[in-house]
Amino acid sequence: MDLTIIKLYDQEDEQKIMSVVDEPLYPIAILIDELKNDDIQLRLNSIRRLSTIARALGEERTRKELIPFLSENNDDDDEVLLAMAEELGGFILYVGGIDYAHVLLPPLETLCTVEETVVREKAVESLCKIGTQMRQNALVEWFIPLIKRLGAGEWFTARVSACGLFHIAYPSAPDHLRAELRAVYKQLCHDDMPMVRRSAASNLGKFAATVEPAYLKTEIMSFFIHLTKDVQDSVRILAVEGCAALGRLLEPQDCVANIVNVIIEFAQDKSWRVRYMVANQLYDLCEAVGPEPTREELVAAYVRLLRDNEAEVRTAAAGKVTNFCKIVSLPLAVHSILPCVKELASDSSQHVRSALASVIMGMAPILGKEATIEQLLPIFLALLKDEFPDVRLNIISKLDQVNQVIGIDLLSQSLLPAIVELAEDKHWRVRLAIIEYIPLLASQLGVAFFDEKLGALCMQWLGDQVFSIREAAANNLKRLAEEFGPEWARQHIVNQVLEKINNGHYLYRMTILNAISLLAPVMGADVTKEIMLPVVINAAKDRVPNIKFNVAKVLQSLIPVVDSDVVDKIIRPCLGELSEDPDVDVRYFAAQALQSCDQNMST
Amino acid sequence: MSDLDRQIEQLRRCEPLKESEVKALCLKAMEILVEESNVQRVDAPVTICGDIHGQFYDMKELFKVGGECPQTNYLFLGDFVDRGYYSVETFLLLLALKVRYPDRITLIRGNHESRQITQVYGFYDECLRKYGSVNVWRYCTDIFDYLSLSALIENRIFNVHGGLSPNINTLDEIRTIDRKQEVPHEGAMCDLLWSDPEAIDGWGLSPRGAGYLFGGSIVTQFNHTNKIELICRAHQLVMEGYKWMFNNQIVTVWSAPNYCYRCGNVAAILELDEHLTKRFRVFEAAPQEARGFPSKKPAPDYFL
Repeated sequence: MDLTIIKLYDQEDEQKIMSVVDEPLYPIAILIDELKNDDIQLRLNSIRRLSTIARALGEERTRKELIPFLSENNDDDDEVLLAMAEELGGFILYVGGIDYAHVLLPPLETLCTVEETVVREKAVESLCKIGTQMRQNALVEWFIPLIKRLGAGEWFTARVSACGLFHIAYPSAPDHLRAELRAVYKQLCHDDMPMVRRSAASNLGKFAATVEPAYLKTEIMSFFIHLTKDVQDSVRILAVEGCAALGRLLEPQDCVANIVNVIIEFAQDKSWRVRYMVANQLYDLCEAVGPEPTREELVAAYVRLLRDNEAEVRTAAAGKVTNFCKIVSLPLAVHSILPCVKELASDSSQHVRSALASVIMGMAPILGKEATIEQLLPIFLALLKDEFPDVRLNIISKLDQVNQVIGIDLLSQSLLPAIVELAEDKHWRVRLAIIEYIPLLASQLGVAFFDEKLGALCMQWLGDQVFSIREAAANNLKRLAEEFGPEWARQHIVNQVLEKINNGHYLYRMTILNAISLLAPVMGADVTKEIMLPVVINAAKDRVPNIKFNVAKVLQSLIPVVDSDVVDKIIRPCLGELSEDPDVDVRYFAAQALQSCDQNMST
Repeated sequence: MSDLDRQIEQLRRCEPLKESEVKALCLKAMEILVEESNVQRVDAPVTICGDIHGQFYDMKELFKVGGECPQTNYLFLGDFVDRGYYSVETFLLLLALKVRYPDRITLIRGNHESRQITQVYGFYDECLRKYGSVNVWRYCTDIFDYLSLSALIENRIFNVHGGLSPNINTLDEIRTIDRKQEVPHEGAMCDLLWSDPEAIDGWGLSPRGAGYLFGGSIVTQFNHTNKIELICRAHQLVMEGYKWMFNNQIVTVWSAPNYCYRCGNVAAILELDEHLTKRFRVFEAAPQEARGFPSKKPAPDYFL
């Protein structure tokens, strides 16, 4: 091709390029040559900058030279092709707008047939992007023939790609073409290659959404039923995935008639992967068909999944227990689902128990006080003693849902040992998780229980061996002070925290400084000045530089909390001393803090 | 916020710097490192860390357990690069911290901080892959030559990557080495970075092909001669993260959990407070959800 070349440019910003584009005196700086370079890295760079090249060439030359060139050069490395497929999706602008959008179809059509899946998927995505912008007549003239060509492609790759394009063109097609498109889709659903049928199954929902109700009930449903009977479980899985989407398109009675039966069959599929998919989808589907048929038909299927042989299936089903109880009647929930829940609470798989624990607290408001105490409470208590921390944490994290229904007293006896054990778990991430729930627990348990049982734990975390835990502990104290108020915090937190400033290890003293900085805004000017500030000022004489520069940082954070004369009389002189410290970091952070003092003055 | 602070933030997110930024950073680091002694003085309190080997997310775990620099002072005993997926980000973060807070972090050289070794064990390839050229590898390996060979905490704890050398009796002999060179194949400098303690009498041949094996009596003699109480070193995988030997005269600290993403070991750091009280902090590899996906290669500077 006869594209002019073009010298290398320092092209940090594209605006410079844009200003050059209109200047005929300067040859435009693009690297068309690099599209053909032997080095893949250079070709890739060039493709990623395709829009710049196109802008430089102008719309007409882009259409007549660049796009044909790209159409011919499709045996490149996958990475280059992927970039090309992506770039072309946003290219309408550069070929002259919507009226010329069709010129982009040929190169993308070729990319739809390559061997590498990600390239094809990107090409289909770009085609869809372009197709949604094309005019109706252009779709008929260019896009639909493209679908038909790909759909009849010799290689399965073309046919796989075709499936993802129907929903773009169908609404614009005249009746005879619509019939043709449906016929092509039917063929794809019956294709010899499983890959094609998979693509047909996963795109069916999108296509169905564009098809007229009459054909939906007849033709599309027959495609669907056919796919649900596929010999390959990977095809059936994709068919299940589409069930809910398809169900929503149908009238409720048609949905019951057509889809519910399919689902019930799927729930007994011989492949556990299919059953797993059903367990995941069942709730969505029940929503789609509404409560009546749910009760009738689907509860039995759900119960079977809760008792499935495969732990993965039970895990997926267990996670939906609460949602399911919400949409069936109360007696049905109690009689059919609750017995399974009891079994799941002692399931051999920790993942099943963990999934159950993450939702089971939500059942309390549904079942009401009496049934909760009678039926659920023993399960909660058992899960609170589970050997896996995740299970216990999941229960604790949802405590508020139960508290509203039965109050906390019935649980508190089992709660405390569970919390203490988690608080001392050997994995610091478990300790971290329970610390993060402490403010929630505090608000649920109330101040009295908290003082008696949990206060000591919160102090203990300040001395944890892991830095992140100490940091979280300090933050936790701030949140408790917010929850119970400054007066409580003054009595129960502040002094205990300040005492720890005498620890012999600098990292633990640092935690205390951090806690002071967090507590100060909650405690207010007076307590900060009277009780906490003296401790900070004293720490400025610490022998460890790290403490001293943290003192500077903490003082900086206290400036907005205290009155301006406290800043001038106490904070500033202390920072002044620190700013002459032998340690460079202490001087730096002191100077930063002094700057804040000055800014505070001027505002 | 200064450029350097911004670069540290960026590296903490495991995003590599631009080639030009690496070059500038290495120049600044060189000015600082060239002033350091072969036996760099370090004050307590300080936390001692062993091999990292490009396991960036596990190093982040280390900082979560030990505290971020500059809050916590650190001494790293070398082997920052090779083996793991993120040698570039790992070394550059440590180097950027060194430039920003020279008094808060000390880096000494490991046997993998070498042009030869990095061409075999991954750092060279990683630079080439992430930058499309080997310039960054060149800047970094040039900096390796400036890294100190050992550190001495409060005149009481001697720190080195590998171990002792039959050519070295006193710390002063280490101080006289001209270290600004590629790690040699033999001699004192090589031994400090390659040797291992072993339950033998005196000196032995190392199966590594460089450095020596040295027994308890050698350690006792060295510690006595130099009036130190402990040698702290890294270099060898220990499943429990740390390992005492020879009546607590030498300790190995290993800071790469689940080494090479497959060994199943835990890692440790040694926390020394201002009174030199020793506490080991043991930690595991970062959980999957704390690991990012490998970042996309930045566009090279020369194109648009």
